[in-house]
Amino acid sequence: MTPDRHRVFSFGRIAAITSNTLTELTRQRVFYVLLIFALVLIGSSVFMARLTFQQEFQILKDVSLGAMSIFTSLLAIVATARLIPQDIEDRTVYTILAKPVPRFEYILGKLAGVLLLLAISILVMSAMFIAVLYAREQTVLHETLRQMSAAPREQLDDALRAVRSSALNIDIFPGIAIIYLKACLLASLTLFVSTFASTNIFTVVVMVFIYFIGHLQATAREYWLQENSAGWITRGFLALVALIFPDLQAFNLVDDIVAGAVIPLTLFAKTAVLGIFYTTIYALLATFVFYGKEL
Amino acid sequence: MTDAAVAVHGLTKIFPVPFRRKPIVAVRDLNLRVEAGEVYGLLGPNGSGKSTTLKIILGLVSPTRGRTEIFGRDSNLVESREAVGFLPENPYFYKYLTGAEALRFFGKLCGLGGARLKNRVAELLEQVGLTNARDQRLGTYSKGMLQRIGLAQALINEPKLVVLDEPTAGVDPAGSRDIRNLIVDLKRRGTTVLLSSHLLAQVQEICDRIGILAKGVLVREGRLEELIAIENQTEFVVANATAGLAEEIESLINRSNAKLIERRRSTTTLERLFLDATKADKPRESHE
Repeated sequence: MTPDRHRVFSFGRIAAITSNTLTELTRQRVFYVLLIFALVLIGSSVFMARLTFQQEFQILKDVSLGAMSIFTSLLAIVATARLIPQDIEDRTVYTILAKPVPRFEYILGKLAGVLLLLAISILVMSAMFIAVLYAREQTVLHETLRQMSAAPREQLDDALRAVRSSALNIDIFPGIAIIYLKACLLASLTLFVSTFASTNIFTVVVMVFIYFIGHLQATAREYWLQENSAGWITRGFLALVALIFPDLQAFNLVDDIVAGAVIPLTLFAKTAVLGIFYTTIYALLATFVFYGKEL
Repeated sequence: MTDAAVAVHGLTKIFPVPFRRKPIVAVRDLNLRVEAGEVYGLLGPNGSGKSTTLKIILGLVSPTRGRTEIFGRDSNLVESREAVGFLPENPYFYKYLTGAEALRFFGKLCGLGGARLKNRVAELLEQVGLTNARDQRLGTYSKGMLQRIGLAQALINEPKLVVLDEPTAGVDPAGSRDIRNLIVDLKRRGTTVLLSSHLLAQVQEICDRIGILAKGVLVREGRLEELIAIENQTEFVVANATAGLAEEIESLINRSNAKLIERRRSTTTLERLFLDATKADKPRESHE
């Protein structure tokens, strides 16, 4: 039985590594983070029972989308950090790379596995969030109907419209898509760091630093540009900083969405392209380092 | 001349050590040729460069100087590993996969799929005696079982060359015997086997040719029987010899110019004794 002729690039091989990575992460029970998210959701809706419905929906969206952003970022870092070091430690990487598998396919397969895991997680979290928001919306609608049963028809319609417009609206979906892209970027960057890190702790610590600096760097950059003239050296330096510490604040569109702002399509597209660009660059860097690695 | 299964030309590997001026020379000017169809044993003490040599042959580590080829194709090329199976030293594999899942995963990496892969997995599990443990997670496997599943994954694509790094290290005598039998079986089917070991008795039993590495240098190489033959000595093993016959042979020797060095009763090996004693109550898939 000779397998088919060797192919330089094979989706089959990448898919095998991707599904194996997903199985690995699933069987290590990383989805428990979803349970914590569910608890946050339930906890926050119990706490908010005494507020007005506008406040309630606003806080529910704020807390849920904030938790979604933190949990997916955390999941991206923690799940990715040990993937390659563990394979090297267990010598599993030898058995994989001793087969006709190019190293870039191995990196690509691992990354795709994590991105798939993040996609599943964010879909489940979104479904839970939308279900809770919908349930609260229905309750508030019923209460409004009951309280205003004697009110004139137009007044009642206005009240119901007010409830509906402050509950679920379509604008949050681009916000969630950007949260996902931020997690993809972090996963790809973590994979890159893990290709040269000596321990998992090092990777996680470095990534936590990058996470915080990434959120602060835009403010620092603006301050710097105000104080100094922007010559080409300054610009070059800032570009380098932006490559090492991606501007994570730029991915935080949900705050504006929750506050009621509509995100222009161009801003969404620009942010999405930035996310995909960073994810690709880090994956390429990870592949580059991994090719030079002595196993 | 046909391509050798493995050819190593002027191979040197130097590992730089951070903060130390003197780097480590793992392999020095190594030339080696493993012909197709033979069982070649690379011997040497720990740290003599055996594993490094195997890793360079498989393209896992890059050489400092020199080059290696598998069936005429440079080890740096991914396609040189098309016809290769490798069992690393003390492999762990993915603990969360079952035996059958692990083999399926490695099969897919070799481009196998569908019914062909399914049949091959079943066939290999049978061959290494793990059919009953196929749905058990690898985390629960004993050392001997892990080594056998490791051998099965190395054979998934019916490779022409199998590279085994310390295949019987840490395995009990029965497991070790199973692995040896599998190697003999591979040789019978025409598969080339390159193995590293420091368990000399075993190597002596199965290898056609050997090379001995010491501190990264190949100090001896050749056909096993030629290397270990003692030129001026001859052995007879006789069954049912009477005391008279033995005396007669001895006096015949004394009358000639030859010299009798030793006369002793044949013994079985300790391994054979151990295997016979433990055979009845040790099923193949039990845990250690």
